[in-house]
Amino acid sequence: MKDNVKSGALTEVTFFILLSLYEPKHGYAIMQFIDEKTSGRLLLGAGSLYGAINTLTEKGWIKPYGDSDGRKKEYVITAEGRRIAEKELRRLRELTKTAETIIES
Amino acid sequence: MSIVKRRYFAGFMGSQTRWLNKMADNGYRLVETGKLKYVFEKCESGKYIYTVEFVGDRSFEEEEKYKSFLEDLGYRVFYKNMHLDYSFNKLVIRPWADKGGRISTTRSTYNKELLIVEKENDGRPFELHTEKEDRIKYYRGMIKPYYYAFVFALILAFVFWPDRIKTAICGGLALLVTIPAAIIGSKILKLKKEKTVEE
Repeated sequence: MKDNVKSGALTEVTFFILLSLYEPKHGYAIMQFIDEKTSGRLLLGAGSLYGAINTLTEKGWIKPYGDSDGRKKEYVITAEGRRIAEKELRRLRELTKTAETIIES
Repeated sequence: MSIVKRRYFAGFMGSQTRWLNKMADNGYRLVETGKLKYVFEKCESGKYIYTVEFVGDRSFEEEEKYKSFLEDLGYRVFYKNMHLDYSFNKLVIRPWADKGGRISTTRSTYNKELLIVEKENDGRPFELHTEKEDRIKYYRGMIKPYYYAFVFALILAFVFWPDRIKTAICGGLALLVTIPAAIIGSKILKLKKEKTVEE
C-alpha cells in the first residue's frame, strides 16, 4: 500500500477501495466489490486489505462507519477521500487520452 | 472421527502450509493446534485451504485485532508457536517487534508467532499478502529477528573470545542465521525490482 508521492498516482487497489466505500462496507464486501468490478482479475489478499484499511484510515481518506461495537466493522469514504478519488479520475482521463492519441492514431 | 498428528516446522511456513493443504486434500480439516499437536477431523476432500502467516513482530493487541479482522472475513484462525520450549510465565525481549510487542510473555505474544488461516477452497490461490508494497513490509518484519540474532551471536562470539569452542559455536550460529535472512532478503530485492515497472 503506497501511493506514488511524485506523481500523486494511487495504486489500483487504493483507488478501488476508495471507490468501494462510496457506500459503507465491511472488509468482506470490499473484497467482493473489487472481485466483481475486475471480474476476478485483481485478487486482493486479506492481509493487504487489512494494511490498506489501516493506512487509509490514518490518512483520513476513509473512516469507520456506524456502531464500532458491532462485530463486523464498516468503513466509508471521507470528504478528503472523495477529493483524492476525483483527482485520480482526472489523472487517469488525461493518461487515457494521451495513450489513445498515440496508440490508436 | 478425529486424528492427531505431531509435527514441528519451526520457521518453515511454506512446508507447514503444504502439509496442511495435503491433509485437507486427503479429507482432513484442522480443528485444534498444540505445541507439536495438530488435531484433524474428517471432512470432504479439498473443501478447505490453508495458509500460514508470521505475526511475531506484532504487539498482542495488533495480533488480536488482525485475527478478528480475518475471522470477520469468514476465515478460521489458529495461533501457532514457532518455538518448542515448554514455558510458563516466560518473558522475552523482542527488539525487532512493533511498539507494544517488544516484551513478549506467555500471556501475550509468546508461542503465538504464527497464524494458521483456513478458508473454504474456491479454487483460487490463498494468499494474504497480494500487494507488492505490503509483501515487502511483511518480509521485512520476518527478516528482523534474524538480523538481531546475527548481531547478538557476533557480540557473544567476541565476549567468549579467546574460548575457542564457545566463540566457534557463536560464530557458527551467526553464520547459520544468515541463510534464512538471505532467502527472505532475496525475495525483498526481487519485489523491489518488479515494483519499478509494475504495481
